[in-house]
Amino acid sequence: MQDLSIPIAAQISMQRLFIGYSISLVIGLLLGVLIDRIKYLDEALSPLLLGVQTLPSICWLPLAILWFGLGEESIIFVIAIGSIFSISMAVVSGIKHVPPLYIRAAKTMGAKGLRRYTSVVVPAALPSIISGMKQGWSFAWRALMAGELLTPTSGLGYVLVMGRDLHDMNQVVGIMIVIVIMGVVTDRLLFGRVEHAILCRWGLSKS
Amino acid sequence: MLEIVNVHKNFKTKNGVTNALQEVNLSVKNGDFVVLVGPSGCGKSTLLNIIAGLEKATSGQVSKSGRPILDAGPDRMVMFQEAALFPWLKVIDNVEYGMKIKGTGKRERREKAIHYLKMVHLTRFASAYPHELSVGMRQRVALARALSMDSDMLLMDEPFAALDSQTKSILHAELQQIWGATKKTIIFVTHNVEEAVLLADRVIVMTANPGRIKKEFRVQLARPRNIEDIDLTSTVGQILGELKEEVEKVAKAELDSDWSLENSSFISRPDTHLGNGI
Ligand SMILES: Nc1ncnc2c1ncn2[C@@H]1O[C@H](COP(=O)(O)OP(=O)(O)OP(=O)(O)O)[C@@H](O)[C@H]1O
Ligand SMILES: [Mg+2]
Repeated sequence: MQDLSIPIAAQISMQRLFIGYSISLVIGLLLGVLIDRIKYLDEALSPLLLGVQTLPSICWLPLAILWFGLGEESIIFVIAIGSIFSISMAVVSGIKHVPPLYIRAAKTMGAKGLRRYTSVVVPAALPSIISGMKQGWSFAWRALMAGELLTPTSGLGYVLVMGRDLHDMNQVVGIMIVIVIMGVVTDRLLFGRVEHAILCRWGLSKS
Repeated sequence: MLEIVNVHKNFKTKNGVTNALQEVNLSVKNGDFVVLVGPSGCGKSTLLNIIAGLEKATSGQVSKSGRPILDAGPDRMVMFQEAALFPWLKVIDNVEYGMKIKGTGKRERREKAIHYLKMVHLTRFASAYPHELSVGMRQRVALARALSMDSDMLLMDEPFAALDSQTKSILHAELQQIWGATKKTIIFVTHNVEEAVLLADRVIVMTANPGRIKKEFRVQLARPRNIEDIDLTSTVGQILGELKEEVEKVAKAELDSDWSLENSSFISRPDTHLGNGI
């Protein structure tokens, strides 16, 4: 029997989310940069990514279970896949929409290659990248819950299912409230703040 | 020495080919102050961008000190029509950016940045972000940034158009003083003929459709110049006369092509070229 206490379940869930999201962050950012740098990849992958992005990430679960079995890896896979595409699409479109004037100014000041990329292109694209990361996080959060509801392992989603099985209304509602609070806290306080700070500094929103 | 030989520039767009520059020949000696004037759309910015290395000429040669210009570079600083500051950097870091790329030491960089910010009267805003400044203030930061690079050539595309006349005349004086002291080559684009005569050794009048050089005026008035000076006013008058013809020509061409478009919709002939190119 798994431990059903809420703090432990919450900790397990957050840990999964953290691992899954970190993976998607690394792969998503790299994929975005690669697609931007390699024109062939852009032509080949961008339409594909747009399509795949519309697929709710939980739809990957059956495939993940076939690959990894019914367990930890499958949930993490679903979390990661849920946010990789929105992160990499945000990187690609953020870079594509960097005002050409910034690039021209950087060129005339002699900024070339990687230096220009890191000192102008990336910061100019940052507001869009951050909002992609924020969106990715909320996708990852949803994927986590769906994954835990559908796989009998552990975590908040699993305790929620147990509550249903035990006809324990208090537990079900209690866990839902915990899930809402955790979602709001991470989404608003963490990402919301970072995004707001960046938009203000870039002069894109009124503080 | 800047040599522009037989430069043509075409832009291909959906609506066909725009002949932005045709047969442009110009040579600029080191230390010259050249001002380009001409009606809107005559290719002033295009020519400046080609010199900057940001655009490639369709044909013809552009070279500086004997070497062909293939790319943009810090020996030709550009001030654009817009300030082109980086919004994520503070004013002072914007000024320092180019020097940082060039490899200027931290200390020297800061000193120079402050020196030039002082010159444009913006030290108070050193740690503000660009979006907290007015358009004119941003343009002054861009000037400080351009000057701090110590390039031997400065390319300026209507840099002061957004400024009030007070600030403008302060910067005119500063620019002339800097030009006198540093012997930079300056190529300056403006719509304002008074500004042109106030600053230039040579005023180049361009024509539109296609963009070419029509006439050159040498301005040999003593410096510092005064906008109310009678000789200056008479030179302005001459250039304005030349320009007026050009602006009217452009306006007429536009009117005619509008007219032909309107008419071709009820004359059942697919001849949209009617009246074009008069
Ligand atoms: N990137 C571009 N693509 C297509 N056409 C262009 C492009 N840039 C300029 N042109 C065309 O080239 C011509 C010259 O433009 P340019 O910007 O050099 O004019 P300008 O003399 O600087 O005008 P203004 O005084 O209004 O700034 C115009 O007819 C314009 O439509
Ligand atoms: Mg222009």
